[in-house]
Amino acid sequence: MSRPRKIRVTINGRKVEAAVAPNQTLAEFLRCHLSLTGTKEGCDTGDCGACTVLLDGKAVNSCLVLAVETHGGSVTTIEGLSSDGELHPLQQVFIDNGTVQCGFCTPGMILGAKALLDENPNPSEEDIRLGLAGNLCRCTGYVNIVKAVGAAAKVLRGGK
Amino acid sequence: MSVAYQVVGKPMPRTDAQSKVLGQAQYTDDLSLPRMLFVKVLRSPHPHARIRAIKTSAAQKQPGIVAVLTAKDIPGENSMGPIIKDQQILCADLVRYAGDAVALVAGETEQAAEVALERIEVDYEELPFVFDPLKALEPDAPVAHEGGNIGTHMKVRRGDIEAGFGQAAAVVEARFITPRVEHAYIEPEVALVSLDAQGDVSVWSSTQYAHLDREEVARMLALPQSRVRVRQMVTGGGFGGKLNPHAQCYAALVAWKTGRPAKVHYHRDESLIASYKAHPYVIDMKLGADREGRLTAIDARLVGNTGAYLCQGRAVITKSVTHVSGVYYIPNIKADAYAVHTNTVPCGAMRGYGVPQVAFALESLIDELADRLGLEPLELRMRNALDTTLPNATGQIMPASIPVKEMLARAKTSVESLRPLLKETPPGRKRGIGVGCSSRGIGSIRKASRSTAVVSLHPDGSATVACGHVDLGQGSDTMMAQVAAEELGLDVDRVRVITNDTAISPDCESTSASRVTYLSGNAVRFAAAKIKTRVLDLAAREFDCAADEVKMRNGAVAHREQGLSLAALFGKNTMHIITEVAEHLPATTPPDPETGQGKPAGTYNFNVHIALVEVDEGTGKVETLKYLAMGDVGKMLNPMVVEGQMHGGMMMGMGFALSEEVKIDCGVANSTFATYLIPTACDVPRELIVDVIEDAEPTGPFGAKGFSEGSLDPVGATMANAVSNAIGVRVTQLPMTGERIHQLLRRRGEAVLKAVN
Repeated sequence: MSRPRKIRVTINGRKVEAAVAPNQTLAEFLRCHLSLTGTKEGCDTGDCGACTVLLDGKAVNSCLVLAVETHGGSVTTIEGLSSDGELHPLQQVFIDNGTVQCGFCTPGMILGAKALLDENPNPSEEDIRLGLAGNLCRCTGYVNIVKAVGAAAKVLRGGK
Repeated sequence: MSVAYQVVGKPMPRTDAQSKVLGQAQYTDDLSLPRMLFVKVLRSPHPHARIRAIKTSAAQKQPGIVAVLTAKDIPGENSMGPIIKDQQILCADLVRYAGDAVALVAGETEQAAEVALERIEVDYEELPFVFDPLKALEPDAPVAHEGGNIGTHMKVRRGDIEAGFGQAAAVVEARFITPRVEHAYIEPEVALVSLDAQGDVSVWSSTQYAHLDREEVARMLALPQSRVRVRQMVTGGGFGGKLNPHAQCYAALVAWKTGRPAKVHYHRDESLIASYKAHPYVIDMKLGADREGRLTAIDARLVGNTGAYLCQGRAVITKSVTHVSGVYYIPNIKADAYAVHTNTVPCGAMRGYGVPQVAFALESLIDELADRLGLEPLELRMRNALDTTLPNATGQIMPASIPVKEMLARAKTSVESLRPLLKETPPGRKRGIGVGCSSRGIGSIRKASRSTAVVSLHPDGSATVACGHVDLGQGSDTMMAQVAAEELGLDVDRVRVITNDTAISPDCESTSASRVTYLSGNAVRFAAAKIKTRVLDLAAREFDCAADEVKMRNGAVAHREQGLSLAALFGKNTMHIITEVAEHLPATTPPDPETGQGKPAGTYNFNVHIALVEVDEGTGKVETLKYLAMGDVGKMLNPMVVEGQMHGGMMMGMGFALSEEVKIDCGVANSTFATYLIPTACDVPRELIVDVIEDAEPTGPFGAKGFSEGSLDPVGATMANAVSNAIGVRVTQLPMTGERIHQLLRRRGEAVLKAVN
């Protein structure tokens, strides 16, 4: 087994230095090393999107990224989305629109939606569906998720 | 008379939503304990084999390995199953499907356990196997399960089937095939177990039935149930698939043998390979109607492939056969349903529980029959729809809350509004409209079913509800809080619902069968009502008035100008808590084994769906342009929860209709989400309308009844009817993948060519 490598990475705005095994995924690093368990693992093969986090602003499946690859980068997890107890507009619309059921896909879905809205602040319904096609949900039928992301886009455009 | 409620009937975000959007909700895999071991399961690579010997010494010697366990290490009973306990926790001498568990490895790390798994040597003697349920019924078929391949035979007999077909002016029949379906909860199976200083067992798990986890772990370890405590953690979906606590048993056995905490966490492929599925069916059905379009007879043979173990097969098959006549009155019925063993992954409970399969067959034949009789499909449905005077297949008459005819009338208007869109079909496409209906008995069909709640009122005007129906994400904890809050005159946030802890919450049976709202909703309401009666009596004494003159609201009691806080009222009576227990046990009669006749459900839920689809003639791909899901729920306790359940069930049905099929090569062949395709956001109909019909159920809490499965039940049927209408060929097999529809289109093209030539 190869030796651990030292990485420096910004996680939710905080600088983190850690020694990680070269084969450790970002998802494992977040969950096991940093106890950031809001990131969920549903398949380990990049098919379900539950482990979606933002790496340098882009949505990635953290089960397909090695922790060492994030060296020098910046990661946002669900724990980093709200600030000072204030919910991010996406989090608020997910509550208000009855979007949350079992909640296992929710953190990844919210971060996937954030990446989508950062890139396209005024998405059509079709854009939202396509943008979230990599995030599987088995409870909600996606209907209220799509509705909520549209509502969040409106709030965010309003500069709230 | 309509009653204005303060809390029930109002849309309300679920109480756990905030913790979930923040990523703070704790699921089982989010827990770790010091010195925790990681457990991996060795599974059979063979569909049927005798175990001659298992050598574990090489695995045991691997670095970081603490224990390697087999069947002989189980101190108590080596059996498990949600209803029928015919599956060994670890196979002792026979494996019956590729995926059967044989041994456990516990290591300091997951990687160490995985490496050691490869070093276990099992000497198998391969045996003949059978995958196809029809072949398994043949006399010389390999025996997939001792006792024979027919696990169950359930019947319905009503009237005179020959006379019924004799009266028929038109008779249609066909064979229908449905797929084996995976629940695909996004959180895979997971359990963590540790022992305390007294040797008592603590289980944290993702489960639909914490008390069954307790029962199975206790039985396996030969412990009294009082020494096992199970806490259901936030659970990432279940849909019927988390009713067999295998992961819990594996973790418990390791913890028991090593004295260290142990965690089992399946990866997706293991979940797909080893968790039980929804039964695939082969259905031969024949249906007749007279000249006036009155259904006269139905003859059906339902063969459900239950796989290697019966676990819930008997109950699923019973649900199917008792629902064989759907939302219609059919005077003459002969139906035989079989749960057949094969050497494939076992099948058990899944949302729908045998109803979507029969609805697909029946509703398809209704459309065919309408065509033969020259009637509109909805007209034929209307002429035969159940109402408060007509019995279903079990002979049961529902005296209220059976709005089928109202729903069909609304459907007629909707279909008329869709018809003009058929004319706007783009070139290379075909459009069609389909209707599908379903009926569902709420709760267990084979036996009576009871729910118990303990409600406590505290002096500060807050309340605690303990009731063992765990919430898997569907929102039942929120609705139970609403029920108690309504009855006690409290705000919802003053009520805490504890459903997830066997040490606190009474056993209410499993969260399944659309039963929580109806059964536990009543139990909670009754207990809260008893508390209210006691409080009002105490207050009446203080105010010197009659109890019905006292109002109880916001933690206080009042009579005219007089008022008292609950704290003061409790204090005057030296009381610290008022606790009441109540239960709901609907009066039901299980179906007779020879005739299927009885009164198997306390209430029924009905659904009518309509789809407008567009089929690509080149690829066979089906697109859903519009979808209307009409569901009857009694009265809504929480419209937001109801809507969410209806969306989710409908889309799960869409997977059953269009894309989902667990395939078997040796074991499960498609064990990833890249090969087992559940719907994505792109598969949602372009327009989806949920229409909730409110027709109060007099025996339900505030008029409510169960509905969570119903929204899935008619989707396969509706979509098949729409696609058949579009392409002009009867679809008889689900899912309707592009490939399958393309083949039907090609065959139809060839037939047309042949006719022309």
